[in-house]
Amino acid sequence: MDDLTLLRSIREPEAPSDDALARGRSALFERMLDRPAPKRSRRGIRVAGVSALGAGALVTALVLTNVVGLAGWRGGAEPAAANVLHSAAIAAIESTDLVVGPGQYLQVETSAVYSATSSSDSGTASYLFRVDDELYVPADRNDDWVWVRHPAKTYQTFGPDSEAAAESVTHVHPGDKDELLQAPAGAFYGGEAGASYGDLDSLPRDPVQLLNYIYKVNVGAGNSPDGQALVFIAERLRTGSVPADLRAAFYEAAALIPGVTVTEGRATLDGRTGVAIGRDEGSIDRQEIIIDPVTGQYVGERRVTLTAINEIPAGTVVSWSAVVTTVADSAPSGGTVNGVFDVMGCISDGKGGAQCPTD
Amino acid sequence: MSSDSDIIRRSRENPATFSELYDRHAATIHRYAARRAGATTADDIMSETFLVAFERRADFELERDDARPWLYGIATTLLRKHARLEARAWKGIVASGAAALDHDAIEAMASRVDAEVAIRALGTAIRRMPARDRDALLLYAWGDLDYEGVAQALDIPIGTVRSRLNRARRTLRAMAGRPTPTEEVEHGRLDPASQHP
Repeated sequence: MDDLTLLRSIREPEAPSDDALARGRSALFERMLDRPAPKRSRRGIRVAGVSALGAGALVTALVLTNVVGLAGWRGGAEPAAANVLHSAAIAAIESTDLVVGPGQYLQVETSAVYSATSSSDSGTASYLFRVDDELYVPADRNDDWVWVRHPAKTYQTFGPDSEAAAESVTHVHPGDKDELLQAPAGAFYGGEAGASYGDLDSLPRDPVQLLNYIYKVNVGAGNSPDGQALVFIAERLRTGSVPADLRAAFYEAAALIPGVTVTEGRATLDGRTGVAIGRDEGSIDRQEIIIDPVTGQYVGERRVTLTAINEIPAGTVVSWSAVVTTVADSAPSGGTVNGVFDVMGCISDGKGGAQCPTD
Repeated sequence: MSSDSDIIRRSRENPATFSELYDRHAATIHRYAARRAGATTADDIMSETFLVAFERRADFELERDDARPWLYGIATTLLRKHARLEARAWKGIVASGAAALDHDAIEAMASRVDAEVAIRALGTAIRRMPARDRDALLLYAWGDLDYEGVAQALDIPIGTVRSRLNRARRTLRAMAGRPTPTEEVEHGRLDPASQHP
């Protein structure tokens, strides 16, 4: 036997383990983000996701500051999910925010589906309805915002009772006309000015600090601290106006949440595709965010029920929202602070309620 | 399918793209490193190779479609830091004797004893040869590179690859106690470099 043949006959070693491959890939993504690679995890000290039971006290004890908190020491998302999130974060950081010039608007088009349950003599029935709207956020956020809300439509029903319930209920406002609202600083219906927009500039950009902040402001909410953190992230991203650096930080924060996995490699939402990242909340439900790992774009979010709700079977997507953000030179004119309530001649009682004339 | 150089070109604009190169070649680099220095070291070499490659992606010569020689070269340099582990791995191969070989290889030998003798001679020769000859030999034999590929990996002229491989193989044969043929014959592989001396 020739010497080279002999050398080539030495048995091939085993292929690298999935764990080693995932660690290597994570280290690479860390380097792309120009951060030191994480130390190899020591076995046995990893704490799994905080369970809902008894988490309250732990959270309260740990969330005193954003720096020392729940984030970063309990492991994190599954490697595949972390990779997608790292990749999206890198792409987001390198993307450029839309520039809204003086007089222009950030135009946020949202399509959303929600579930509704109605009770009648014949029992309780659930169905899904869809609402589309366009929000025009002015360059100066203290100026007038404009909000065009299209009539809700039935999206999905589940049997005759569900169908009947959908037909009997008119959502949001009567009739089939668009509702047009206009309010300074986005204080529609007398609500809080620019709710969920106001703190976008001040939220931490460091993923660990951001996640600790999220745990802190959500103490006691949701099914579990980790699940609620992902819900919080999804709710912020769906505003469609999160700046690129914060979007990247949200993705990185999601990668630090234990139990977060890739739930669908190629998920389609309202005609756009991305990777679905989510977290099962026991047998209750699963919040997912759908992102494009190559461009860093946020496609949307959706919630899957893991338990049957009336006629809606387990595994159904019970709500979703998809958002597209662009820059508009103008916003529709007209509209009032209270929209349809003003059209109907209602008079605000100054406490968030209104007296409307009856026919 | 996009070529390696396409991926590297795109990664200069969009770094995340570089992960495609990892997904494509990480296991290959791991196999090479694991053969030379054991599985545990290979985990680190694999990871480090791509970190170094990522940082040096601007240096990659884009006219080369295949990035493997470049990656092998980086891995080979990193392996130098693990010379002691590599020596130990070779001792392990020698110690396991015929068991270190593919079943087919043992079958091809006249006897199991021959296999034991051959593997011992091989292990001893490889441990004793100069590192530069060993690198060329193992890239050629295990990295599945041709002369041109080895030259790219080690960043040396093809003529130097040829002389290092000749010397390495003379060492192997001397250790195996066999006569040295006067002329090199390539086995089972087309060597494009030999057609353009």
